[in-house]
Amino acid sequence: MTTLLDQRAVPLALRSRVVLVIASLAGLLMLCWPLLVQVPADGGGRTDPPFLFLLLLPLVIAVVIAEISEGGMDSRVLAILGVLSAINALMRLLSAGTAGVELVFFLLILSGRVFGAGFGFVLGVSSLFASALLTAGVGPWLPFQMMCAAWIGMGAGLLPRRVTGRWEIAMLAAYGVVAAYAFGLLMNLSGWPFLLGIAVPGHEGNLSYVAGAPLLDNLQTFAVYTLLTSTSSFDTGRAITTAIALVVLGPSVLTTLRRASRRAVVAVS
Amino acid sequence: MRSLPRDLHPVAWWLWAVGLAAAASLTTNPLILLMIIGVVGVVVAARRSDHPWAKSFRFYVWLGVAAVFLRVLFRVVLGGGYPGTVLLDLPEIPLPDVVQGISLLGPLTRESLLSGLYDGLRLAAIIICVGAANSLANPKRLLRSLPAALYELGTALVVAVTVLPQFTQSIQRVRAAQALRAGETGRVRRLRRYLVPVLEDTFERSLALAAGMDTRGYGRAGTATRAERRTTGALMIGGLCGVVVGVYALLDQTAPRILAGPMLAVGLLVALAGLVVSGRRVERTRYRPDRWRAPEIAVAALGLTAGVIGWWVNSEQIAIAYPDLSVMPQVSLAALVAVALGALAALVSPPPARSAR
Repeated sequence: MTTLLDQRAVPLALRSRVVLVIASLAGLLMLCWPLLVQVPADGGGRTDPPFLFLLLLPLVIAVVIAEISEGGMDSRVLAILGVLSAINALMRLLSAGTAGVELVFFLLILSGRVFGAGFGFVLGVSSLFASALLTAGVGPWLPFQMMCAAWIGMGAGLLPRRVTGRWEIAMLAAYGVVAAYAFGLLMNLSGWPFLLGIAVPGHEGNLSYVAGAPLLDNLQTFAVYTLLTSTSSFDTGRAITTAIALVVLGPSVLTTLRRASRRAVVAVS
Repeated sequence: MRSLPRDLHPVAWWLWAVGLAAAASLTTNPLILLMIIGVVGVVVAARRSDHPWAKSFRFYVWLGVAAVFLRVLFRVVLGGGYPGTVLLDLPEIPLPDVVQGISLLGPLTRESLLSGLYDGLRLAAIIICVGAANSLANPKRLLRSLPAALYELGTALVVAVTVLPQFTQSIQRVRAAQALRAGETGRVRRLRRYLVPVLEDTFERSLALAAGMDTRGYGRAGTATRAERRTTGALMIGGLCGVVVGVYALLDQTAPRILAGPMLAVGLLVALAGLVVSGRRVERTRYRPDRWRAPEIAVAALGLTAGVIGWWVNSEQIAIAYPDLSVMPQVSLAALVAVALGALAALVSPPPARSAR
């Protein structure tokens, strides 16, 4: 019953799903590129971070958004999307100063759960874009953040529907913890070669990324890097705050969102 | 040529900044990078308005400084054993075996410091270029010039940006109402009592807003036929597939080269075509659209030309673009021209409109 209603906020046709999958693959390739680079055996030539991706990723995101909203979105869904993006942006603004305390994901996960995967994806993109516009904080990192947040919103919409009540909150909180760590990991992975540089051939044993080294070696170096810089501090803080917010405020916010979604979606059909 | 004060089209500033950022991304020559940063700073100082977002440039400059500092610090702390002239012989502190052969400090070489400095400067230059676009371009008008295919997203974002001030009203109302009422005073309960009415209030407003938008014809489904929709879908899926293959081939340098550059370009073009076709379904006129006039075209062209020259220097004059760490970096005429073109933007663009105070 609820499934039918909920999915209708932003319906995902089969074609949209295909586009989403291919675009996610492209996004994942661009995020995880350090682990994929293969250098010809004879070596030589320098490897530079592919700055091209900074332009490519926004285009991929634009295509997905255009495809999802193809055929027009309902104005109620649009208005709710705008309001939720604004709240998310505001929460990001308020929580930006305090280290590790990030509240962006909390509402994103709840909205994705209530309004479905398509809505969650679009909300992830629009929330981060809105907050970047509001603070004039558009930077090279923005496309990557948008993609990851979109995945988090979409994933929340894909969680099993049947779970309700306390178990639902527990499931969402667990998802929130996983999402917070995964977000940190993926953002670190995308920023690692940019921030630390790429190791020069023949000189190893620091934390830099080695282009073309065996996957396992790079993964190991990356694990140390991410553990030292953020997984044990920022990401843990983010995971804890997200989980606490979901447990404490989740039930009441879920009810509010469900009421809004019923009014927004039922009125149309 | 004295032109009347007005705000330049935001997309023009973004294209200019992207061109310069591309030029910066294609070199590690500190002289060129410092010149690019200088040019960007001059243009921002000359052409930014007095709107709030114009003040954000300082933040990006500090971020750039932090990027350089971090890069060099990482080199000092973790970069022991880099070949070259030793400047400072720091003691080496080996870490436990868990972190596979990584050691802290160790002899600090000139080359290690310089390469950290050059790479950091490149990152800083890119960040500062983007920051310049942020402070020069009006974000609200940038939203209005989103491509037609992203019309829905643009509308939602406009709602988001305009709805923010209403929150404070909502919060004040709820607070006033709750001050008059007895109730739970525990921290969590109070927060919950507080959050739910504010959320309900904003949804109420958003639905009212939606009703208003409905009467004005927003959010209508397009008039695209089935065949048109199928074309759009085919273009988008084909384009994305091309991009995926291209990106993979770009990374896996053992893959055939024909799959990298050309495939990526074709995929990009097809995806762009898909965006354009899907944007055609949106039949709406814009109120006072921003026009592209000569200064807009000139600013965008200057930035993009600088980017193209930067790419040429990167592929033809490798010694200039990526200077050896042991000698003083040199600058070529082409690189100078690229930087000078970027600076010209301050001359061809009109002065910004000053808001009346």
